[in-house]
Amino acid sequence: MNISQAVKMAAKSISSNKARSALTMLGIIIGLAAVIILVSYAQGQNLAMQRYYESMGTNKIQIQAWCWRGGVDVSTELYNYCLTLDEYVKGVTPAQEVWSDFTIKYGVKTLGRDNYETRPTLYLGNDQFSVCNNYAIAKGRDLSYLDIKKENHVCVLGAATAQDLFDMVDPIGKSITINGMPFLVVGLYQAKGSGQTEYNEDGSNWQEVAMTRLDRVILTPYTLNRVLNNNQDIEQYVAKGKDSESTKMAVALLNNFLAGLIPEDYGYGQAYSEDQYQESQNEANAMQQRFLGGIAAISLLVGGIGIMNIMLVTVTERTREIGIRKAIGAERRSIVIQFLIEAAMICGIGGIFGIGVGYLGTLVVGKLSFDTILLPSTGITIGAFAISVAIGIIFGLYPAIKASGLQPVVALRAD
Amino acid sequence: MLIDIRDLYKIYNEGLESEVRALDGVSLTIDRGEFVAIIGASGSGKSTLMNILGCLDIASYGEYYLDGTDVNEKTDRELAHLRNKEIGFIFQGYNLIPALDAYENVELPLIYQGIAPGRRDGMVMEALEKVAMADRYHHRPSEMSGGQQQRVAIARAIATHPPIIMADEPTGALDSKTGKHVLEILHRLHGEAGTTVILITHDNSIAATAERIVRISDGKIIYDGTKEGAGL
Ligand SMILES: Nc1ncnc2c1ncn2[C@@H]1O[C@H](COP(=O)(O)OP(=O)(O)OP(=O)(O)O)[C@@H](O)[C@H]1O
Ligand SMILES: [Mg+2]
Repeated sequence: MNISQAVKMAAKSISSNKARSALTMLGIIIGLAAVIILVSYAQGQNLAMQRYYESMGTNKIQIQAWCWRGGVDVSTELYNYCLTLDEYVKGVTPAQEVWSDFTIKYGVKTLGRDNYETRPTLYLGNDQFSVCNNYAIAKGRDLSYLDIKKENHVCVLGAATAQDLFDMVDPIGKSITINGMPFLVVGLYQAKGSGQTEYNEDGSNWQEVAMTRLDRVILTPYTLNRVLNNNQDIEQYVAKGKDSESTKMAVALLNNFLAGLIPEDYGYGQAYSEDQYQESQNEANAMQQRFLGGIAAISLLVGGIGIMNIMLVTVTERTREIGIRKAIGAERRSIVIQFLIEAAMICGIGGIFGIGVGYLGTLVVGKLSFDTILLPSTGITIGAFAISVAIGIIFGLYPAIKASGLQPVVALRAD
Repeated sequence: MLIDIRDLYKIYNEGLESEVRALDGVSLTIDRGEFVAIIGASGSGKSTLMNILGCLDIASYGEYYLDGTDVNEKTDRELAHLRNKEIGFIFQGYNLIPALDAYENVELPLIYQGIAPGRRDGMVMEALEKVAMADRYHHRPSEMSGGQQQRVAIARAIATHPPIIMADEPTGALDSKTGKHVLEILHRLHGEAGTTVILITHDNSIAATAERIVRISDGKIIYDGTKEGAGL
């Protein structure tokens, strides 16, 4: 019996036993699709996390410092100290949020306390604020040294805030008012997020929402602290380390410096980096990924057991069939080849459908959870395909290998 | 000599309390072109003997020469070829593949023989016509009566034109008219093609159409001779 005849015979067997073939395929489809979707979900989560951290900026050093003993200018001292750390630090900026209520207007549009969603964070910073906080200028220019020095009434807008205020109009060169004072818009930041402001039901897109929050900012020169912030002390600073080693070093040096600068009973000073938090977050993420991987493995196993079950339930029937085939002159080889081709065809077709369902599911999950086009990795797809096909083939081949070696009458008597 | 068995035993559960000597020292020779009927009570070992003759089972002890060569020495592959080309076996219990229809069941031994698809069709339909099942070629076993299944099983056995046909109660499930028809087919194959026919039956009138009668009792041959000697 040649191969094309064996293929025909296998195809015949598949189409003559529709229920058995369909159930086997279903086992493979479910197992494979579940693995692909779950693993892709975990990878999507990881990707979102990574993007979030990247948008926040790595090697960011947050500093809180204040001193209420006269004669200590924390801002200047910190700035000057950071200049001496240029081996470790790229820049430093005040990053004071204005806590009190404010109203921003352009024409009839108003942003402020009345609408929490569009209310931007108003920052007082310097010309290094963008670098330190990982903002990039999309249009116009950043704050300049002269803006700071001359206390110019200028501002840079985050992408979402520019959209909220100006809609289709080009904001550059336009004048807005903050608490009634006119400010010239000199620049726009690139968007960090996708504009999503609503959480999914499962909250899986919190990174997207958080990143969009980062696009609702207005940066003004910190030297306007007096007019914008009632001259309250500037307590928040951000520095930017050169790399993770430098950041660790700089955090230690800054803490040391702050301890010396600010007398213990007259203020507070601390520098920290979120990198460590990120590391532990990454670890938690990896753990979640392992967990989902485990679930995926279990679904593969369940699919495999399903396949196994169907194959084993029909093993008696198939053993008899093999007895008949042997009795009318089939060689052992022909029987094994036919069963192998049959199993490979069922598993192959089921596998292709499984991959299809897995890809579709992944696209849907990616859209719903992360609002991106998420695609399964080829490695996972091929791996899961190989495993489920292997399970199918092993259990499809099992009766053939077992029964084709029996005397025909023994196989015929199987029960 | 076509078939030559010497002192053949088939013992189930040997050494246990449930030991059964289905064949208990059987010796028998059959020449090419003979028409032999094997008769005997139920459980006497007829099917057991036929299965061994048809190379579907192996004896516990004893020798079996088919066409002068030792069957016990043959490889699995050679046995498959024997079953495929030399012997057409008709089972007591039909043994059709349930998922395949009549045509496909009859076609199967031709496929294993490597006959080209174009030639198979004629051979399949010829065999089905001989058993008057050509009009039902598309029916599955579950859609056929016992007698119809038996006829398809006979068609499958004769489709390859084997030189030996072994039939285990081929008329057991048939009414007397169809039974007679099947018997006619076997006699015609015997007469026209010189096919060797070995037939198991419990129907004396059918056995009486054979040239030679072999009677088995408790795994032993107790008579081997003409029908007159057997008192039929
Ligand atoms: N697999 C087996 N295990 C144990 N005993 C068996 C087995 N197969 C057959 N036997 C026994 O061997 C004996 C002969 O059985 P066999 O099927 O050859 O009888 P038979 O002459 O064909 O009967 P019938 O006319 O009813 O078909 C019986 O006693 C039967 O119980
Ligand atoms: Mg019997």
